[in-house]
Amino acid sequence: VTAVSRSFDREIPALDGIFDFVGAFIARHELDERTAFSLNLIVEELFTNFVRHNEGGGEQIVLAIEKNNNTIRIELVDDGVEPFDPDTVAEVPVRAGIDERRPGGLGIHLIRTMVDSLHYDYETENRRLRVSVTKTLEP
Amino acid sequence: MFEITTTDDGVIHLEGRFDAAQVDRARSFFEGITTSHTIDFSKLAYIASAGLGLLFATQKRLVDAGEAFKLTGLNPHIREIFKIAGFDNIFEIE
Repeated sequence: VTAVSRSFDREIPALDGIFDFVGAFIARHELDERTAFSLNLIVEELFTNFVRHNEGGGEQIVLAIEKNNNTIRIELVDDGVEPFDPDTVAEVPVRAGIDERRPGGLGIHLIRTMVDSLHYDYETENRRLRVSVTKTLEP
Repeated sequence: MFEITTTDDGVIHLEGRFDAAQVDRARSFFEGITTSHTIDFSKLAYIASAGLGLLFATQKRLVDAGEAFKLTGLNPHIREIFKIAGFDNIFEIE
């Protein structure tokens, strides 16, 4: 298992540093272009959701990525925030036409489609919200 | 890096990475679009939901006015994301 972890400021412009961090992980493990695209997108969607929707919280959000054989695990941890239940996010009607579609909800829909597992947990004691996803690499 | 340029033929060219950090700048550009255009994606490497949402909102406004975007040059990864998002129903994609 190889794992890396870093804290990033709770703001959208932190994405530049996040892409550098994820890019270094991708390069170190020589992951293919399709996997690289997916990992960037998963991390961006999880991070921007935390920045936009987590109420309260400190100055930084912790991002960790690890590779264990052919599985990538991504985790974000945010302390001092309110709980979040992803099941409250409505499904996107992706087969609907433009008249029936409304903006929003796409981020979590993309994540759900691209990962093998998506799990949120919340520790009441330190009001810690943790989201973790796993993605199995294609052979 | 993310750039939006419009050439003399009216084609809008997207280049680089269209992530959430670029959306405010892109929004001011797309808010000024009121007529049909082709958008060339051939130099766009990456897009996430923030960029998709902006393109969707602009397309919706255009369609209501009888106009529309046509998209060309999507790389295979972006084409897959458009399909997952159901945007193959929303845009004409070459």
